[in-house]
Amino acid sequence: MTYKITRDENISTIYLTGEIDMDVTEQAKELIMPVIEEKKEVHLNLKDVEYMDSSGISVLIESHQKAMELGTRVVLKEISKSVLKVIMMAKLEQILILE
Amino acid sequence: MDITEIKDFPVNSKSLREVREFSREVISRSSILEESKEELVLAIGEAAQNIVKHAYKDNLDTNDKMQIKISFKNKILEIGFFDKGKPIVEENIKHRSLDDIKPGGLGTYFIQQIMDEVVFKEATGWHNNLVLTKKY
Repeated sequence: MTYKITRDENISTIYLTGEIDMDVTEQAKELIMPVIEEKKEVHLNLKDVEYMDSSGISVLIESHQKAMELGTRVVLKEISKSVLKVIMMAKLEQILILE
Repeated sequence: MDITEIKDFPVNSKSLREVREFSREVISRSSILEESKEELVLAIGEAAQNIVKHAYKDNLDTNDKMQIKISFKNKILEIGFFDKGKPIVEENIKHRSLDDIKPGGLGTYFIQQIMDEVVFKEATGWHNNLVLTKKY
């Protein structure tokens, strides 16, 4: 997994690339959580995420819940087909914020 | 075309990528399987992850190997997982309710959604043998 972060006044965008599995879960959380703690809206761009398993889905749920606690939100953007399939399999398309 | 392929992997999270690469390569040999390749790779990845996460929960520095056997014969796909970790109590394996939104507990659910049958069998020399089956 590789990443890039861009920040503007109100929104931070994290572009994730590659495969998100158990091996990179901690790395993904260490990357995403501090950005959420800045309390700006966070966009997770998943266009270039080729594979995500249940561990990756857990990171998305945890991120969403953390943002809600802090009064902000995490928006999933440009979700790749394979990731969307897993999100829908977990019936999370109505829970997570997808745009 | 019949397929039988067996490979050993170190039991650790770094092996999961290798497990997926192996699975993709084997599945790609059949045009029938190819159509559901990514789903099958997810199921295989989740099952391998469960070995690392649960069967070796208290033994993360192990040098043990887990073995994966993929066979496709007579339009039946069978994927066997063999490990020497903590014996799994089948009754204790259940996924969380989908209405209970929290991190974790989805891997087994994904496997059950993708495969037709998920059973533990006896295998000489191994502590756990999970067998996933799907008919085409």
